[in-house]
Amino acid sequence: MAERAHPGFDGAGADGELTLIDADVHQRWADESEIVQYLPERYRDDGLVLPTLLYRNPGGYFKDDEFTDDGRTPGSDLEKIVDDHLDRYGIDYAMFTGNSWLNLGAVPNRDYAGAVAEAYNRWLIEECLSVDERFLGSIFVPVRDPERGAELIREYGEFPQVRQVMLPGGSEVPYGRPQYWPIYDAAQEQNLAVAVHPFSEGHGVSNPPTGAGHPNNYIEWHTLLGTIFMGQLASMITEGVFVEYPELRVSFIEGGYGWVPHFMWRMDKNWKGLRSQVPWLEKPPSEYIREQVWFASQPVEEPERPEHHSHLMEMVHAEETLIFASDYPHWDGDSPVWGLPPMDDDLERAVRYENAQRLWDLPADPGDLA
Amino acid sequence: MKTRFEVCPAADLGPGERTIADLDGLSVGVFNVDGDYHALKNDCPHQRAPLCEGSLTGLTTADSPGEFEYERDGEIVRCPWHGWEFEVTTGESVFNPHRVKAKTFETSVEDSDDPETVETSEPASAKAGRLDFSTGTTADDADTEEKATTEDDRYGVALAGEEPPVDTYDVDVEEGVVVVYL
Repeated sequence: MAERAHPGFDGAGADGELTLIDADVHQRWADESEIVQYLPERYRDDGLVLPTLLYRNPGGYFKDDEFTDDGRTPGSDLEKIVDDHLDRYGIDYAMFTGNSWLNLGAVPNRDYAGAVAEAYNRWLIEECLSVDERFLGSIFVPVRDPERGAELIREYGEFPQVRQVMLPGGSEVPYGRPQYWPIYDAAQEQNLAVAVHPFSEGHGVSNPPTGAGHPNNYIEWHTLLGTIFMGQLASMITEGVFVEYPELRVSFIEGGYGWVPHFMWRMDKNWKGLRSQVPWLEKPPSEYIREQVWFASQPVEEPERPEHHSHLMEMVHAEETLIFASDYPHWDGDSPVWGLPPMDDDLERAVRYENAQRLWDLPADPGDLA
Repeated sequence: MKTRFEVCPAADLGPGERTIADLDGLSVGVFNVDGDYHALKNDCPHQRAPLCEGSLTGLTTADSPGEFEYERDGEIVRCPWHGWEFEVTTGESVFNPHRVKAKTFETSVEDSDDPETVETSEPASAKAGRLDFSTGTTADDADTEEKATTEDDRYGVALAGEEPPVDTYDVDVEEGVVVVYL
């Protein structure tokens, strides 16, 4: 039974229109040998050696009803993603964001991280994207080795369904630094977006997941994911990434968007008096955000009073900046039918697919991807 | 007037166990908590996940920061999506029991109208056609609209044969069936 949208929304699926683009779908391997086979020989005996998340969720990390009948981890059966998610909700495109436990930004050895990133990219293209033309891919890079990352972007970014480069939320130094610019240069050249998604915060060699230090519990860790994004976004804007790469498109996935109005207001306010520190900025910082940055809806903000969400939509310029994400099949995911709070049809169309279509430069028909 | 549904033989649903039943299109979770039966709509009020398929757990409480008590094991069902906790016995959420609730239904253990039902659950399920004892029910089935039914359908005898063999099985309450009233 297909559930295209909640009752009352008739803006989706009209002639030639899309219905829904999902910015965050986690596919994973059922067994790590699927990735290991793509590793260079010198690492094949090591297998996958990756820092893990030490914060425990008492309910687990998955939608419990998405385990396969034979008990395999949700997201590892690609046909089940098609049946339970794409077909069921009429999803036109689903962006694969991979296994959150990959944590390449927290791996100390740069060569090994590069090898795992390349193995992941080959597995993604050869074994995942081939399953359904509606699947889109985010390629992984070793962020602590940006030159190698740029090589991987140029090598694997040509594949039509690859539309994005993935950076982990946690990093050694913030993402505006010129050391990362080879990644942005290659992404802009390949017409790929760059996404920041929580992965490595507080794991391995990455920084503590909050500026205040290491939290005690998962509730603290998960609540503050947006604060790391604030640090990354402030760095990218002030260091001039969006000036140097005016065609670059960046999205922040799974860090929320309630903080964005505050961030834009404060940065614009400070820019009026502190502009001389960043003279390369040609306009108020919030304008770079509205033109070159997108935020994913999940986990959807749930204010005390529902009408406050409408106010937030206005403050964050959601008609330009917000994209729908389900985070399937993770525990904190949002339903494509019931996740988004009520909004008018024009805005809902923008959030459900128009903004993501711009972000990833997507044709209306997946068959036209080339 | 409420509609009576026979869900399964009481003997098939022991303490700590649950089943998900499709009652004329409405997915309902039926739980045995310490010998008492409780029924909840399989539909989380948050984003309509199949609530009753979540893990059964207990309640952590604290008298002061840093101290934990774990009590009422098996009386809390945790939504399989976002982890919201609900009391199986009342349908009330733990975090906001007065405003966030799962719908509950009246239950009892009674003699079966269809004695063959109590012999074994699987043939009864297959025969009745609308009783699903599996736990594989998904949110797809959590349809809030109750389908129109005939009088026979409602009482579970329509598909039980031309003449239900009511005289072939002697049933007492302990060996009865779990009944849910919608």
